[in-house]
Amino acid sequence: MEYAVETFSLTKIFSDWWGRDKVYAVDDLNLQVHYNEVFGLLGPNGSGKTTTLKLLLGLLYPTKGKAAVLGGDGSDPKISSRIGFLPEESYLYRYLNARETLDFYGRIFGLPPKVRKLRIEALLDMVGLKAVANRPVGTFSKGMARRIGLAQALINDPELLILDEPTTGLDPIGTRQIKDLILELAKRGKTILLCSHLLADVEDVCDRISILYGGKIQAEGRVRELLLQSDKMQITTDTLSDNAVERIKKLIKDEHADCEVISPMEKLETFFIKTVADAQQQELTTSGAVSTTGISDFLVAKSAKENILDKLVSAPAPGHTPPKSGKTEQVVPVETTEQKPDDRLLRELTKPAKPEQPKPVSRERKIKTQPVKSEVPKPEQIRKNILDRLTDGSSPRNDDSEQTDKSENKNED
Amino acid sequence: MRSIWAVATNTIKQALRMKVAAVFIVLLFVLLPVMGFSMTGDGTLKGRLQTFVSYGLSLTNLLLCLLTIIITIYTLTSDIQQRQIFTVITKPIRRYQLLVGKLLGVVLLNTALLALFSVIIYTITIYIPKFSDADLDDLTQVNNEFFTARAALVPPEVDVTKEVLDIYERLEREGQLSPDVQRSKFIEELTKRKQLEKRAAVVGQQLVWEFNNVKVVDRKEPLFVRFKYDVSMSPSDAVVYSRWEIGDSRQYPADVDYFPRDDPIRTFRELEFSADLIAEDGYLAIKFLNLPSNGTTVMFPPDGLEVLYKADTFGANFIRVVLLILFRLIFLASLSLLASTFLSFPVAILLSLCVLVTAIFSGFCLESFDYLGENLSWVYSYTVRPIISLLPQFDKFSPSKYLVPGRLLSWPLLAKVAVLMICIKSFLLLLLALLIFRFREIAKIII
Repeated sequence: MEYAVETFSLTKIFSDWWGRDKVYAVDDLNLQVHYNEVFGLLGPNGSGKTTTLKLLLGLLYPTKGKAAVLGGDGSDPKISSRIGFLPEESYLYRYLNARETLDFYGRIFGLPPKVRKLRIEALLDMVGLKAVANRPVGTFSKGMARRIGLAQALINDPELLILDEPTTGLDPIGTRQIKDLILELAKRGKTILLCSHLLADVEDVCDRISILYGGKIQAEGRVRELLLQSDKMQITTDTLSDNAVERIKKLIKDEHADCEVISPMEKLETFFIKTVADAQQQELTTSGAVSTTGISDFLVAKSAKENILDKLVSAPAPGHTPPKSGKTEQVVPVETTEQKPDDRLLRELTKPAKPEQPKPVSRERKIKTQPVKSEVPKPEQIRKNILDRLTDGSSPRNDDSEQTDKSENKNED
Repeated sequence: MRSIWAVATNTIKQALRMKVAAVFIVLLFVLLPVMGFSMTGDGTLKGRLQTFVSYGLSLTNLLLCLLTIIITIYTLTSDIQQRQIFTVITKPIRRYQLLVGKLLGVVLLNTALLALFSVIIYTITIYIPKFSDADLDDLTQVNNEFFTARAALVPPEVDVTKEVLDIYERLEREGQLSPDVQRSKFIEELTKRKQLEKRAAVVGQQLVWEFNNVKVVDRKEPLFVRFKYDVSMSPSDAVVYSRWEIGDSRQYPADVDYFPRDDPIRTFRELEFSADLIAEDGYLAIKFLNLPSNGTTVMFPPDGLEVLYKADTFGANFIRVVLLILFRLIFLASLSLLASTFLSFPVAILLSLCVLVTAIFSGFCLESFDYLGENLSWVYSYTVRPIISLLPQFDKFSPSKYLVPGRLLSWPLLAKVAVLMICIKSFLLLLLALLIFRFREIAKIII
């Protein structure tokens, strides 16, 4: 039980119809994922990432070698009840609506009805699909399906989360949210194994990575260590006068080093999120997924370290009134690419929680914002929120199905 | 158990929302009432009832069989091909639970649909006489011959072995046998001929059937002789004139009734007689006299005569017949489940349909295979034959076979079918399905 995931010379050979070996999808793989670690499995297409995950989960059987997940066999119900899995695409039952989908998975986990109901609502909130919860998921866009897929992976409050390309099909905001979510979950002591070929995503969230090629590990280690250019340094300052730059250059030259002076670029991601946040303030509606910040509170924290994330919590976007109930759904512009924790929900969560009882968050000194979400907003409250929005131009939010219909009609997307 | 139930309800939702079931349901909803009003059979009230029940149940049966096959195969193969199974099977559910859940869902849906349509058919059947302008005679006939569940006494085949052997020996002694005739073939042929002789009456001759230990539950209920004539030469009006004598003729004066009759040939007819004609000790004799006016030999085919008596009500019999259909559906569901554990949708459908068709024509299939297999001897009898006989024989226990002539489908017989079809055949299929599914790699997509 030293590792959350460990493989021993794991090998998977796909053979052709005659039984002749064709492809070494995974070749003698020895992988160790520590507990409470975000581990990234990287590699180009066809390098064996997904196959490895499927081997771990018992969807495929290894040709040779062995895989241990949480100290056991990944297909054993005792183990799999502690795992959340998001496959490379969200394979959902098209005829179920979002709520029923989550209910179905909750029932397979044997969650009692009460817990199930609370978790479903919390998760729908978290992934921003509450407004479309009664629509069959067959009508969902890829990104929305992805969100439901993620919600279904979290419904059992897993210790180990296995994510296969978690951000495919998501818009940049969704991507940002998933990354934040991953970080937040890690903070609460969950172990996360993700595979992706989107390097930026991996770089942002992973503690350690392995790069696979041809089913073999080509490089492995801490992201910082792998990427750190220890022979270079970077100094970022406010704009300086030409004169000052010249003097600095001279100084550096005296040290026998080279230097280059440019203005740093903002990350496109940051820019995009800002733009969308502006649009939301102008009250444009969407029938798609709503961007939310937050995490469902039943996702129990194993280690209750509070940290930077909480400080970074989004302030309300300038110029709009924070909604009265906790479920904010506006995107908050973030100036830095550092993790921005989703505040409200998250915070409630971090308390060793009886999942059913969201507690109002009041203890964070540094958080300027957001009223805490209460599990299920009372109808009057919702109506009031809607009114607020319609009248004073806060961000669009859909709280119940009536509202959904309205926004769907207006919808331009 | 919870996870099995979750899968079962999901399967039902799938069947209903994907509109697979809807097509069949609508079809039945429209067709059944239409059939109730439009089918007239041979014009009599009894004919109308028989046609409706027979066609209605057969249609329901056939459509539900198809529905079962399609739903069962669809629910599993689409999960595998569209990969929803990835997210399901990685949850704490065992593979057998998934299969059992799917099966349970299909069976529950079938039970509900079958119950619904049986009630519709039953109600229409009960109301047909009330809305028809039938006279009292018709109603009595319908009550006696249709709205009932009658058991049958079948006269045993007359043993002709000794006679046949005697003839054979005589012919052999006299050297009249040609050397290239096989003994067994010859004897078989001779036996057939002798038995036919026992069932045939030349002009003016009488045939006698005797029954012992006839036990009648209710002496007030009449009994029926159900018979069918074959003739060697068709009379011009296709009618056989006869005199039947029924009762205890062992002593004198005999306690018998006489029934002069004229009946068309090659059709089943019924002769009603009172239970009082059966002797105290359960003896009953039935005699048929071929009247000279016929001018032809009259024969009874092998199943051409039996004595029927009321043993249960129509309603109870109807329920048992419906259960018989349910057993079929369960069998088909297990079969389809097995097929879809290792085949893709179209192939699994094809396989299951093939089995369904052979099951419907199992009598014909067995016979023709036997005929073809004669020359292959043991190769055939140890390979193909056991497999074919493992197939269910739907035609042997068809619903209309019991309801149309008002025949009793007894609980013991039903139990026998249940044991054979569910406890043995379906169970074996399911077990095999579980084994295959347990060891196959889910993520490998089967084309």
